[in-house]
Amino acid sequence: MMHKKEWRALDYCDDERNNQAEVEEAAKQKNITKQSSEEWIIIKDSEGVTVTTTDTQAAISLQVGIEVAIAVVLSITLADSDKAKAVFQDLEQVMKTKQSNRQKTIVEKSKNVNITTTDIDIAINIQLLIQLLLAIVVSLDIL
Amino acid sequence: MSESSKDPMMSNKVVEVMVDSIFRKNGIKPEEVKNNLSEKQREMLKEMVTDLKAQVEEFQEKKNESKAE
Repeated sequence: MMHKKEWRALDYCDDERNNQAEVEEAAKQKNITKQSSEEWIIIKDSEGVTVTTTDTQAAISLQVGIEVAIAVVLSITLADSDKAKAVFQDLEQVMKTKQSNRQKTIVEKSKNVNITTTDIDIAINIQLLIQLLLAIVVSLDIL
Repeated sequence: MSESSKDPMMSNKVVEVMVDSIFRKNGIKPEEVKNNLSEKQREMLKEMVTDLKAQVEEFQEKKNESKAE
């Protein structure tokens, strides 16, 4: 009994879209290598795949920037550095420093797929951090 | 409802209360410590916070854009 041959994107070249696919692929490669190591998007044996992702690196540096800002505000305002440290430690409990999620997206033997990924964890964390910073500066009458 | 969908994590009130309780726990009185700041420092910190806030807004916008596409 013969198995039905499985469909493979690269098996046939019978429409003009194939020429176009090559160009698209070149652009796609660049897009993927920009990602940090924590996000994997693997595309195998497929065509017409569109990928949209958030720039995780930019998000992480923004997150670190806000964390540093909180530390700066505390250390300048609370002249006592031990106290500033204690407050920052308490805040850290809430800031949960988890950097980002580790997601893997695998597309195999597929045609015309749209992928949109967002690192929700880091987006929420940034939102929380800026809220924290704002609450601190408002209570200290800076803003 | 629109407020909560904009801030999926926590409402501003919750964060406010949390900061207040952390200050209280560590014996910090905002009315007193805010006098430690010179006018120039206050201005500098204000600039820094405003700048970060703008960056976050830009980031959220970009995120929403890619979601909408």
